Amino acid sequence: MRRRAVAGLLVAVVFAQTQPAQAYLKFGVTIGGRRVTLKWAQRSARYFVSDQRVPGVATSDFQAALGRAFTTWQSVPTASISYQFAGLTVARPGQDDGLSTLGFESRPDLDRVLASTSFLIDGVTGELIESDIFFNSAFPWSVAQGGEANRYDLESIALHEIGHMSGLGHSALGETELREGGGRRVLGAEAVMFPIAFTAGSTAARALKADDIAGISDLYPDGDFDQAEGSVSGRVTKDGQAVFGAHVVAYDPVTRTMVGNFTLNAQGQFSIGGLSPGMHILRVEPLDDADLDSFFDVAVNPVDVDFKVTFFDSLVVVPRGGDSGEVTVKVVRK
Amino acid sequence: MRTALVVVAGLLSLRVAPACAQSSQGAPGRVELAIGPLWIGRQALGSSDANETAGTGGHLTLFSASTELASASGWEGRVGVKLWRSLEAEVAATSATPEIRSQISNDLEATTPVTVTERIRQFTVGGGIVWCPPLGRSPSRLAPFVTAGGGYLRQLHETATLVQTGQFYQFGGGVKVLFASRPRSRLKGLGARVDARAIVLSKGVAFDSSRHTSPALGASLFVRF
Repeated sequence: MRRRAVAGLLVAVVFAQTQPAQAYLKFGVTIGGRRVTLKWAQRSARYFVSDQRVPGVATSDFQAALGRAFTTWQSVPTASISYQFAGLTVARPGQDDGLSTLGFESRPDLDRVLASTSFLIDGVTGELIESDIFFNSAFPWSVAQGGEANRYDLESIALHEIGHMSGLGHSALGETELREGGGRRVLGAEAVMFPIAFTAGSTAARALKADDIAGISDLYPDGDFDQAEGSVSGRVTKDGQAVFGAHVVAYDPVTRTMVGNFTLNAQGQFSIGGLSPGMHILRVEPLDDADLDSFFDVAVNPVDVDFKVTFFDSLVVVPRGGDSGEVTVKVVRK
Repeated sequence: MRTALVVVAGLLSLRVAPACAQSSQGAPGRVELAIGPLWIGRQALGSSDANETAGTGGHLTLFSASTELASASGWEGRVGVKLWRSLEAEVAATSATPEIRSQISNDLEATTPVTVTERIRQFTVGGGIVWCPPLGRSPSRLAPFVTAGGGYLRQLHETATLVQTGQFYQFGGGVKVLFASRPRSRLKGLGARVDARAIVLSKGVAFDSSRHTSPALGASLFVRF
C-alpha cells in the first residue's frame, strides 16, 4: 500500500514473522498453524490490466507504465521472478476472480492512499492465487516520461505496489518530517518499498535500491545469490531486554549501499541478507519515520521506539556466502 | 652456553668493512638475511556518505563515514641478493595488525560522532631493488641507499571470515651500518639497516579505488653470507 501520508488502511495480510527473515519484511500467512511466506510458487505471475480510463492516462499509457515497472523488478539479476502481461480486461481490481488485475478505482474516501495491493490466498495450501493492485483515481496521475508537476508518477507507485504483489513488505529506509496539516513528507528514501511516496511530480522512485534488490532476491534467489552474498545477524537490547521492531541498517562503505531489516521476535533478533561481502557499518534506529502499522500489527507486537540512534561499535565483516556471526547492539533510552 | 660463546667469538672476529656494495673493495657476501620491527603510519582509506535519494533526485545524507587504517607496528623479514656492485635485489615479507577506524559523523539523528573499529592482520610479500649510490673511494661502515619495490597485499579481517587482497608499492631510503665483516668466513657480515619509506596500498580494505599512501619506518639486523 502506498500512502500519500501516514494514516490509511491496514495492510491486507498479516506479517507473519517469528523468525528473523534474511532480508526485508515479507508477507506471510498462518495456514494450519504453520507460517507460510507469501510468494509466487512458480516464480512467475500473470497480470491483467483493467481497461478503465482516467483523466490524463490513456489505457495504453497505463499499460506501458506498468510494463516498465514490472520490467524493473524482473531485471534484477539476482532474482528469478518474472511477470507476464495477459491482456486487457473489464474486470476490476479487488474482485476475487483468480486473475491478478491492476487498474484504477475511485476511492476519494481513502484520501491518503495512492494505491493498494490485495491478495487472494488458498486457505489450505497457503498458495498465492491472485494479487490485485488498485490505483486511486481520486488523485492526479502522470505517465509522462519526465513526470508532471502536481501529478503522481504512476510508474513509481506501480513499482512499489508490484513489490508488494511479489511478497515484499515495507522497508523503513527513509526519513520524513511531520507536515503541519498532518501526515508526513519524505525527505529521503533509499528503498522503493518505503511506505510513503515522494511528493507529486517526483520520478525519483523509478529505480530499485539495494534494499529492494536484497528483498526480492531473498524471496526469489537466482544463480549464486546465496553463495555470492552474505548476511549480518544479531540482537538489539536495551537495559538487557530485547527490543522488538528496531530498524537495523547495514551500510557498505565501499558500494555505498544500505540494506535494512527489523528485530522481529521476542529475543530482539534480526538478520539482514543480500549483503555484499566486506565491512559494514550497523546503525540501529527507532521506527519513527512512518506509522508503525505500516510495518507491524502493533496490537500484537508492540514496537519499542524509545531509544537513541546507535551504531554498533565494531565494523561488521560479512563473509561471502555466510553470516557475520551474532552481534549484539545495546541501545539506550532517549 | 658453549654455542653462544662460539657465536659471540665469531662475531667479534669479523672485520669492519663497507656496509653496501659501492666501494672498490665491495661488500662482503652475496646474500643478506634481515629481520626487524616495522612501523607503518596511519593511512586514510577514504570517506563515504550513506545517502538516501531525495524526491528531487538529489541526496539526503543519513551519515558520513571517514575511515583510516591506524598506525601499527609489525615485523619485516628480507632476503637480499647482490646483483651488481651497488645493486641488490630483495624479497621481503611483512606482518602487522592495524586497526581500521571509521569515524561516523553528520548523522541525521545522532548528535555526537562515534568511532567504530575492527582489527585486521595485514601481510605483504614483495620484491624490490636496493641501490647504494657511490659516495667516494674510501670504504665506509655507513652506506646510504635508496629502494623501491612492490608486491602483494593480503588483509585478513578479525573474524577470519574474509580476506581482501590488493597491491602495495613502496619507495624510500635509509642507511646500512656494517658492524663487522669476515670475508673468508661463511658468515661474512653483520649489520643493521634503518630506512624510511612511503607505502602505497591499492585495493584491499580501502573504501575506494584510489591508492592510499602512508609513511613507514623500518629497522633490522642483517647477516651476510
